[in-house]
Amino acid sequence: MSVAALAARLRAGELSPREAVEGYLERIEAHRGLNAYISVRAEGALAEADAAEGAAERGPLWGVPVAVKDVIDVAGERTTAASEVLRDNVASRDAAVVEGLRSAGAIVLGKLNLHEFAYGAKTTSEHFGAAHNPWATDRVCGGSSGGSGAAAAADLAAGTLGTDTAGSIRIPAAFCGVTGHRPSVGLVSNEGVVPVAWSFDTVGPIARSAEDCSLLLEAIAPEFRSEPEGGEPRVGLVTSLLAQADPRVAAVVEEAAGAFRPEQVDAPVLDHAGLIQQLMMLPEAAAAHLPWLRTRLADYGADVRARLLAGLLMPATAYPTGLRARRWLDEHVRPLFDRYDVLAAPAMPIVAPLLDEDPVAIGGRLVPYRLALIPFNSPWSCLGLPVTSVPCGFVDGLPVGLALVGRRGADATVLRVAEAFQRETDWHERRPPLLV
Amino acid sequence: MGAQSSDLSFLRSLAERQGVEPSDEDLEAVVGFLAGILPALAELEELLPEDAAP
Repeated sequence: MSVAALAARLRAGELSPREAVEGYLERIEAHRGLNAYISVRAEGALAEADAAEGAAERGPLWGVPVAVKDVIDVAGERTTAASEVLRDNVASRDAAVVEGLRSAGAIVLGKLNLHEFAYGAKTTSEHFGAAHNPWATDRVCGGSSGGSGAAAAADLAAGTLGTDTAGSIRIPAAFCGVTGHRPSVGLVSNEGVVPVAWSFDTVGPIARSAEDCSLLLEAIAPEFRSEPEGGEPRVGLVTSLLAQADPRVAAVVEEAAGAFRPEQVDAPVLDHAGLIQQLMMLPEAAAAHLPWLRTRLADYGADVRARLLAGLLMPATAYPTGLRARRWLDEHVRPLFDRYDVLAAPAMPIVAPLLDEDPVAIGGRLVPYRLALIPFNSPWSCLGLPVTSVPCGFVDGLPVGLALVGRRGADATVLRVAEAFQRETDWHERRPPLLV
Repeated sequence: MGAQSSDLSFLRSLAERQGVEPSDEDLEAVVGFLAGILPALAELEELLPEDAAP
């Protein structure tokens, strides 16, 4: 059930917070095989549900069960980041976003699986196991917020939080057929969240619909306010990204974006964004991890260890070149938002691959999985822009995502356009076969 | 094709000076990673206007 619908039923007294929590705990147990959760706080959530019954103030998410990616601190619970390095790390206080959820009345069910340290796109932790895609359990659910995508798709929480540094909300949202919003950098506090790269990190919602994402964002971002319905948005469809996607995915996205009667935008400068973000993200991640690299190097998974060490050993000129290039890129991209309210593009170039499928095929070419996704993630995250990924169709029975991108700070506009799309389509209401 | 031992020695020295002790296998992976990024970095440096400031 969506956040909006569940909140309304709770307010109307059609079910109690305890009943809502119990329902989700049963579903989590029934779908343990998805490995969406790293930890479930059943007793705590039930106790908080009982306490909510007597609460003097009932916020907009009163009694709504939610779950958060396991890089986000919940007081008294482990924050493992799906890594052996933090296996026994217990948080002493709530992250700022968890404080926001609780203030709005939400109840935290547990902590969700992810790619180790949110630094990869598969959610196949060597230490905590792979999370599985509810649409096809032999496929990845994406990452790094893979558990959030899987939980939202399989209805194992009404709504979830993930984090996004270079695609980590949009990838699982697209692969799992749910809606994810990467907020503008700076809109949401990262306090109490394990960092990847400070310049790009942001917490954001993954849920069933754009309306649900707005409700969650209102709880975690005090400055965010939803926009009322507006006129027809000016939309630009980024053809250079369509051309790089699997043709079947591109066709689905082009047809879906057609609802906006978009103009075509060719922006080849975006091709540089992946490298620019890597030049900054790799050293920042290495700096964030340096104490653990010194003492716990062998405890990292091989892929994450390699990327962290690459960041440690890159030439010193890489970072300032990245800074210079990011500004140069911004000067090319910013004017696009004078012409368009929103840019549309494939969220991902492919549908979810098999768990062990790497490289992946794109239109007859074989491309390493990670490199295949970067051109679709980095143009927006490199510049700190807000992006909503909405389900927009299927290829081979697997979900396809449409990315809607706005100027920095225009989160409400992007979500308004996404909500308008979802009023006219029902892709976001489709459920995985295992749930039917 | 494996990385040259001089590459690994240089990278090992750089890592150890920062207090990190990677294995040969780790460093081979880093060499492969940097082999992809460094030529692209050089091209980007050429592409940027001289007056492009951070």
